[in-house]
Amino acid sequence: MRVRGRRRKSVAFFIVSGACLVALAVALNVGWILLNWREVALLVLGIIFFCVIITGVVLNTIFLIREIRRNEQHDAFINAVTHELKTPITSIRLYLETLKARPVEEKQRAEFYDVMLADTDRLLNTVEQVLRAGRAAAQRRQPVTTSMVDISELVRECLDLTRVRYKLDDDAIQYADSLNGQRAAVLGDADEIRAAITNLLDNAVKYSDKRVKVSVAVAAPDKNIVVRIMDEGIGIPAGQLKRIFHRFHRAPGRVMARVKGTGLGLFIVRSIVRKHGGRVFAESEGVGRGSTFTILLPRAS
Amino acid sequence: MSAILIVEDENHLADGLRFNLEAEGYDVEAVGDGETALSLLRENPKRFDAMVLDVMLPGRNGFEVASELRSSGHFVPILMLTARGQSHDVLRGFESGADDYLPKPFELSVLIARIKGLLRRREWFDRETHAEPATAAKELTAPGTEPFVFAGKTIDFGRLELHAKGQVVRLTLMEAQLLQYLIHHEGEIVSRKAMLEDVWGLREDTDTRAIDNFVVRLRKYFETEPAKPEHLLTVRGVGYRFVAKK
Repeated sequence: MRVRGRRRKSVAFFIVSGACLVALAVALNVGWILLNWREVALLVLGIIFFCVIITGVVLNTIFLIREIRRNEQHDAFINAVTHELKTPITSIRLYLETLKARPVEEKQRAEFYDVMLADTDRLLNTVEQVLRAGRAAAQRRQPVTTSMVDISELVRECLDLTRVRYKLDDDAIQYADSLNGQRAAVLGDADEIRAAITNLLDNAVKYSDKRVKVSVAVAAPDKNIVVRIMDEGIGIPAGQLKRIFHRFHRAPGRVMARVKGTGLGLFIVRSIVRKHGGRVFAESEGVGRGSTFTILLPRAS
Repeated sequence: MSAILIVEDENHLADGLRFNLEAEGYDVEAVGDGETALSLLRENPKRFDAMVLDVMLPGRNGFEVASELRSSGHFVPILMLTARGQSHDVLRGFESGADDYLPKPFELSVLIARIKGLLRRREWFDRETHAEPATAAKELTAPGTEPFVFAGKTIDFGRLELHAKGQVVRLTLMEAQLLQYLIHHEGEIVSRKAMLEDVWGLREDTDTRAIDNFVVRLRKYFETEPAKPEHLLTVRGVGYRFVAKK
């Protein structure tokens, strides 16, 4: 990519110029120490000043690079959203025009309707994700609507939805809980929690290389309710385990690039879970070895 | 029956396109990524008469696939499809070797018309190539699909070939169209904007500097010293001028 290439060059420029400035300041500092060896007051004052300058330059460079990265991610996000919005619209339009312009057999016609329905779902899903992410970024306070949400019931509902959406076999997603019939409820917004769990399930299916094999476990060992979603998909490199929850961030790599996404899903999951006073984290033994996402939510008594 | 290759990773779009093109009477093959498309075309270069290429593909993107094809000497007509419809994306598509470019969402009738256009042009060129070889060394023939000869160089518009400096260069359709236009206006000053609009039908806020890249490439093909052009001259601040004789 030409644009990305240019960006990388500009990052390199700032790193080099930052390093040069730091080196210069260090050299001046050493010179100062050598020149003012006998004057203790000047020596100390100079060293302090130089340290301040060096720290300033280092911090400045770090912030600059971070800002460039953020811009880059924002561009990638805009591209991804454009694609996610335009592709289903293109498809729906194509099928509508086809139905309008050509004689289509009854069976084929039904197929076309299904395709268009799936595309409207996709469109709606993208719009909802973007709106949800906007809300998540704007308000980090308590959820607006709260009620008692039965987590195991909600999780099973999400599983059914995912199975239908991706046309999966029943055994592609396994469910197990260790609640022994106890009620595991959370005080919160059912819609939001459902969105968080669905996002994680979507990821588990999307990032499974060929065969989808996901297992979901719900437990309530202490004051928390634990929802664990394990897949045998493409995995996550160790350095990316925290970053994937950042807004717009998408893990780099050839395998990851095969899956399309906006970089919002996990950000939404994290903000929803945090809003409910819980936390979420990812584990993976590495690329190609699957990943596990765990949500902890405080149990309502 | 013309054969068309669709390279599109979105199944819904690929299926919809296939249905329509088959209804138009074409032989259609659809693949989901650039790598498969490249290997199909390498296996049998003559199999497809046109190609519909999506840009956002998994692995190698459409731009990369097009330039890879062109640099390996494969000249199947390419219609590029993409969600990115800004002028710099369009130009990037053309620079990478596409013959036509259609932003998503597109109108079905326009898409089919454009594919027909590509196939028709290819057919004309084929007819030209199979016809009896044009008599060589005509001095300054009128540009058409006839070969154009100037200062020891020959441009064969029928075969999209340029014979110069003892070498044969395959021209892309866009390069050939630009050359044809310049030759047609021989001696006149042609503005960059006119070139964009008249040759490729690009309008609005298109970046006219893209023309410069084409000119640099064309100069490399036939100027003895590309840095000191004798035929394709820059007219500072305006555009270019083509001069056949030294």
